[in-house]
Amino acid sequence: MGRNAWRWRQLFRNLTIRNLKVKYQRSMLGFIWALLNPLLMVAILAAVFTHVVRIPMEHYVAFLLSSYFVWNFLMQTMSGATFMLTEHTSLIRSVAFPSELLVFSAVSSRMVEFLVEMGLVLAGLAVVHHHGIPGAWIWLPWLFLLQVIMALALSFPLAVLSVFYQDIEHMLPVALTVLFYISPVFYPSNMVPEALRSWYMANPFAQLLTAYRTVVYEGQGLAWQDIARLTAAVCLAWGVGYAIFRRYKAEIAEVI
Amino acid sequence: MPSSVATKLKSPKSSNGLETVAIRCRDVTKRFYYYAHRTQSLRENFIRALSRKPLHMGRAEFTLQGLTFEVQRGEAVALIGPNGSGKSTVLRLLAGIYQPSEGTIDVSGTLAAVIELGAGFHLELTGTENVSLYGSVMGLSDAQIRARFSEIAAFADIGAFMDVPVKYYSSGMQARLAFAVTVCVEPDILLLDEVLAVGDQAFRQRCIAHLTRFRKAGGTLVVVSHDLETVNRLCTRAIWMDQGRIRMTGPMGRVRDAYRNEVGEDEEE
Repeated sequence: MGRNAWRWRQLFRNLTIRNLKVKYQRSMLGFIWALLNPLLMVAILAAVFTHVVRIPMEHYVAFLLSSYFVWNFLMQTMSGATFMLTEHTSLIRSVAFPSELLVFSAVSSRMVEFLVEMGLVLAGLAVVHHHGIPGAWIWLPWLFLLQVIMALALSFPLAVLSVFYQDIEHMLPVALTVLFYISPVFYPSNMVPEALRSWYMANPFAQLLTAYRTVVYEGQGLAWQDIARLTAAVCLAWGVGYAIFRRYKAEIAEVI
Repeated sequence: MPSSVATKLKSPKSSNGLETVAIRCRDVTKRFYYYAHRTQSLRENFIRALSRKPLHMGRAEFTLQGLTFEVQRGEAVALIGPNGSGKSTVLRLLAGIYQPSEGTIDVSGTLAAVIELGAGFHLELTGTENVSLYGSVMGLSDAQIRARFSEIAAFADIGAFMDVPVKYYSSGMQARLAFAVTVCVEPDILLLDEVLAVGDQAFRQRCIAHLTRFRKAGGTLVVVSHDLETVNRLCTRAIWMDQGRIRMTGPMGRVRDAYRNEVGEDEEE
């Protein structure tokens, strides 16, 4: 078993590198594309919500940037998850290996991209917005960890269920659109009416994005009870998500 | 150990700690249900839930039954039989890709299965890049791949195409590269599914020469093939599969003749 773990780690690493290579190696602008797309979205949101529909916020662009890439990461891992296994049909049907590796490596290559994106955003905000590095940023590694577990918790069931039900592929874009509006992606969660707030904040996406905002944009620390609640929710989601995957794992090679 | 883990070739003698039986299948059954549509969609589940009636919309069944056999260490066994008789399914069960519905499969030693050549290849990556990816899929460590790279390149013998994306390869070249990686894996047990049919005459000879060497060194081989003459040269024993059951097992020549008598000579060429 120990030998196996070592062996799979190597395959995991090679798959992660392959994902990044395939994506960037043969494109001239490479990583710039990955950055341009969300930045364009930020620009559009910024234009609309400062000039057309006004969101009362002093530094709206900084506000958007502080968590848009988190949303982008979650959105991309989720939509990637729906074809993650079908993309590797011949591999799954001809080699016995833990199919978890495909999910892990897909999330980890997105993780690498996110770290670069977020690094740039943080550098920019430190210079322009905060004129220094806020102490609250010490929270970032923890938030990042929660974000990755959340991505895995969602990727596992999405990946395996899309093998069995094509419906997932059609359902996800709709779900993502809904999620985009019911999560504080382009507006602050305190604009939500007080009466609905506790319902609204039951959404882990809302909790995570708000936490990022508090830390990155406001430079404030987090309340322990908030972070404990989010951590518990994310861990629970991981348990359920991975259990679903495990339930169907053995049948993947037969059905795909 | 049901995975395709592979390490350096070990001698088959029981002194190395491996059992003299390499593969042991006992009363293995595997059932498959196929539906008219690739997926039973949510709709079908809803209907089933509402109507409370068993729903068999366009369901077909394939069952592999009563599979009991052993493969001794150092033996070479051929699985022969018509299309759809379950040969590849047996290989997938042995490789641990499918789990048996009933019965047990014990595999002793490291095992590598080549069900589909180049299964892990990514078309956008070069031959060299794919060698390291496919190598790690087949169970080689990065260090082992580096150490054996020149050997792999020599076996594939595709020259400068090693540094060209695999999508520009001919299917023969792709198969050669994939087989070259497989050759360097050196497991205790090697499962091959119809992969000898690739490449030109010269390459096939090289593959067969390699497999003969593998056998001489004590490796265990299970081959699925329709090419009776090639498996006759490679294998000592044969299992004839028919409609998901073992029809006959015995010495290669005898099973081949019996199979040939039944299907007629025309099937082969």
